[in-house]
Amino acid sequence: MPPARFPIPQGTLDMLILQILSLEPAHGYGIARRLEQISQAVVQVNQGSLYPALHRLEQKKWLQAEWKQSETGREAKFYSLTSSGRRQLAVERSSWARLAGAVQLIFAEGNE
Amino acid sequence: MRLLNWFHRGNLERGLDRELVYHMDRRVSDLMLSGLTEQDARRQARLELGGLAQVREEVRDVWLTRWMRDFVHDLRFSARSFFHSPSFTVTAVVSLALGIGATTAIYSLVDQVILHALPVRQPDRLVLIDWKGDQAANGFGSWNLMSYPICRDLERQDRFFDGVLCRAATTVNLSIGGEPKATAAEIVSGSYFSVLGVTQAAGRLIDSGDDGTSGANPVVVLSYDFWTTQLASAPDVVGRKVLVNQHPMTVIGVAAPEFRGIDVGEVPALWIPASMSGQAIPGFKNQLDRRTRWMQVLGRLKPDVTPAQAQVGLQPWFKAMLDEDTRRAGFPRITAERRKRFLASTLELTAAPQGHSPLRRRMAQPLWVLFAATGVLLGLACLNVAGLFLARGSAREREISTRLALGASRSRIGRQFLADGILLALTGGLLGVVSAPLAMRTLIAFVPRDAAANALHSTIDSRLLLFAFAVSAASGILSGFVPALQFGRGALISSLRERGGARSGGVVLRKAIVTAQIAFTLILVIGAALFVRTLTGLLAKGPGFATSSLVYFGIDPIRSGYSREEASRLMRRIQDGIRASRSTEASGVARVVLLTGGSWNNPMTIQARERMVTGDINLNAVSPEFFSTLGIGMVAGRGFDERDTRAEGGPNPRVAIVNEAFARRYLGGRSPLGALICEGSGPDAKPNVEIIGVVADFRYRGLREQSEQAYFPILEGTETGGNFYVKVRGTTDAAFQSIRTVIRNADPALPMLYFRTMDEQVNRSLVTERILAALVGGFGTLALLLSLVGLYGVMSFVTTQRTREIGIRLALGATRGSAIWMVLRDALIMIAAGTAIALCCAAALGRLVESQLFGVKPTDPLAMAAATLLLTIATLGAALIPAYRASTVNPVDALRFD
Repeated sequence: MPPARFPIPQGTLDMLILQILSLEPAHGYGIARRLEQISQAVVQVNQGSLYPALHRLEQKKWLQAEWKQSETGREAKFYSLTSSGRRQLAVERSSWARLAGAVQLIFAEGNE
Repeated sequence: MRLLNWFHRGNLERGLDRELVYHMDRRVSDLMLSGLTEQDARRQARLELGGLAQVREEVRDVWLTRWMRDFVHDLRFSARSFFHSPSFTVTAVVSLALGIGATTAIYSLVDQVILHALPVRQPDRLVLIDWKGDQAANGFGSWNLMSYPICRDLERQDRFFDGVLCRAATTVNLSIGGEPKATAAEIVSGSYFSVLGVTQAAGRLIDSGDDGTSGANPVVVLSYDFWTTQLASAPDVVGRKVLVNQHPMTVIGVAAPEFRGIDVGEVPALWIPASMSGQAIPGFKNQLDRRTRWMQVLGRLKPDVTPAQAQVGLQPWFKAMLDEDTRRAGFPRITAERRKRFLASTLELTAAPQGHSPLRRRMAQPLWVLFAATGVLLGLACLNVAGLFLARGSAREREISTRLALGASRSRIGRQFLADGILLALTGGLLGVVSAPLAMRTLIAFVPRDAAANALHSTIDSRLLLFAFAVSAASGILSGFVPALQFGRGALISSLRERGGARSGGVVLRKAIVTAQIAFTLILVIGAALFVRTLTGLLAKGPGFATSSLVYFGIDPIRSGYSREEASRLMRRIQDGIRASRSTEASGVARVVLLTGGSWNNPMTIQARERMVTGDINLNAVSPEFFSTLGIGMVAGRGFDERDTRAEGGPNPRVAIVNEAFARRYLGGRSPLGALICEGSGPDAKPNVEIIGVVADFRYRGLREQSEQAYFPILEGTETGGNFYVKVRGTTDAAFQSIRTVIRNADPALPMLYFRTMDEQVNRSLVTERILAALVGGFGTLALLLSLVGLYGVMSFVTTQRTREIGIRLALGATRGSAIWMVLRDALIMIAAGTAIALCCAAALGRLVESQLFGVKPTDPLAMAAATLLLTIATLGAALIPAYRASTVNPVDALRFD
């Protein structure tokens, strides 16, 4: 059994997907693996929730998808960021920074 | 649009499958590399994903929201079940199609005539500017008239207006190369097009440069419709010369396609600048006269100004202008009282996003009545479908109960019914929209061609589609709602346990629906009876003279370049020619045409024993033969003769004939012969015209009116044209032929304004009455059919349910008669309740139709009784069939039933 991990905070999965795809286009499995590597097994991502999220982002036109040959030679659906997806990532990043900063401030005050 | 996803969901599904399979395969091979067996790897991978089916479902929810997905599913289920019961489906769809089609058709007319804003820039900023009070002016035209100079004055009030325009409708003889034809035109100020914000399809439009010195700019702009239909969209139209009343003018452009003037009832073929009004209206010299009212004035308000603000803000300037006007040279000498009224005048601004339209005045009320009637019809159709649903629902009761027992939520079942309703209504709506243009064409065909038919069209535009869609959706929800409510509530266990013999809860609701249907129907049937009585009453009353073998036509030679003397000589030639023809019996001339709603009217001053001023009198000038041609008898005195028509001592008549109503009202029993009268009501009026005769009453403006009338003789050399009334011998066709020949011999280029039989004109003048009688009658018939179906359905259902009970009663010795009575009693209660509701509603709705009626009151007992009787007989007939069937039940069969 995997070790106890934090469930991913609500609403951050979309942001993480956007972030991963901002580096390079990837298919669903690739994104799942990247998520696992990056989060260093601290955050638990339910792989089942990945696909609804991908389709939701595609629906919102933040992602575009295309079938391409993958590293194993099979066809896979590769997702990449659209320009509006890029803008959305910037928005989410800054609002996350603000939120994190605010939480940090609250904790800092409590420690004094 | 997510909804679009539904249409290519096959693609989406395949893509998702491939994607998930790829994920699984990669995960499995990765896990196997780390040492798991294939079986374990597969299980682990599936576990991580949380179940493939689950993922699929979740992704589908992304494509189409859950609710929508379920609803689409419901719709498919509905469609399948409708295919299984075609007779139900056809009945329901046709009911709804009738209701929606009729409503859409009538709404299209309401929209075109009443609601549709002009196709101009920001129509909501347009206001009609009207003069309230005494203008101390003479005028001609329809309503809301003012002079041209005041329009130019208003134009300078730029604190309130972004521009002011004026316009007048007229008819010109237009020749575009061939014979001249009477053509509708609009005389407009130079600001007209720019203030409205209308663009051109070719060339340029009239601007302020064209509206300068009188007579200096002979230019016209053609309407797009005229250009395409009459000139075959000739590309070289700009620069062409046309003849307007024989004056050469140059076409400078064509207006935008959708623009048809600002009056929905009078679509102009061309626009002429006001500076050319002397040419457009022969003999008119008063364009710049401040005391001649003949144009409507509209303004475009500045963006932040309301009509009320502008109205108040304009007042100081207007007051000063009135003061100044009284000191101007040429201001008429009027009484102190009129002067006071003149100075107390105000301007009134009303929002005019739809322009100015006398047609709207005339048609608005009948159209709303019709719209209300179609609303009732649509409501009825919805009730019918709701009733059908309930009937079908009780047949499906066990199915539904089973679904409930298997765990379907009540809201889910209710939504199924809504889906049923909406699917049906949309299908019905589609059918209705497809058939609406046909209905519209039929409707428009009722309207005489010259009045408004060319202004109304039967095309379906996006507004209409939106309306039809809204109506369909609403009726779908309405007709699905009632049964949804019913089945969302019923007790589960009881209906599962139920067998054919028990009483179902739906019956009460169905009876209520049928009662409402009967009420709606009766309202429509009463309405139809009232309108039919109005129409037949008016037709029976007639115009007061014999219309058979009477034809008439009009000519307007002054518009073909004739002088008044020449016109008089021409009319005499035509008169002689007609009299010489063998196919005519007699012929007379009148200045103003009869039975078209128009008249020449003025108050008069009478000098009998004392001086008195009358109310508005309908006036006309007629030739000596006029009354005898129409067969109108003289009651006292003599008719006009040749002596009276000689214009000795100026253009004023010396004798007059009044009608009986005039004599009765103003000379109260005394002999009017010898009394002196004259036109006008001021102290400067000089009664110097002697009444020489009294003529029997007949209808002048329209069949409804009973007016005081006075007639002058037509004087030689003073008329500009006239209307010939000809009594024909033999067929009217032969007479038409010979009259046409007479006119062609007199002047081959002279257009005839109209040429028709008097019977036709009587029918034309009853357009509104005929439309109302025919349509409301038609709606009533439809409604009756619908509610008969409804009643029959409920009664058969109830009877089937009570078969067992009836069988027992028969077995115990009840007579057939009592069995019939038992069923009929039910129907009678519904009919009585429906009738009571309808009679109350009809009394309340009476006010809406009162002004459209003639000779009957909205609560006319005869019409109400007849309608109620008809409905009762028909509905009882429908109830009798199941009742009779019940009475023939074999007790043994009935007991064995179930």
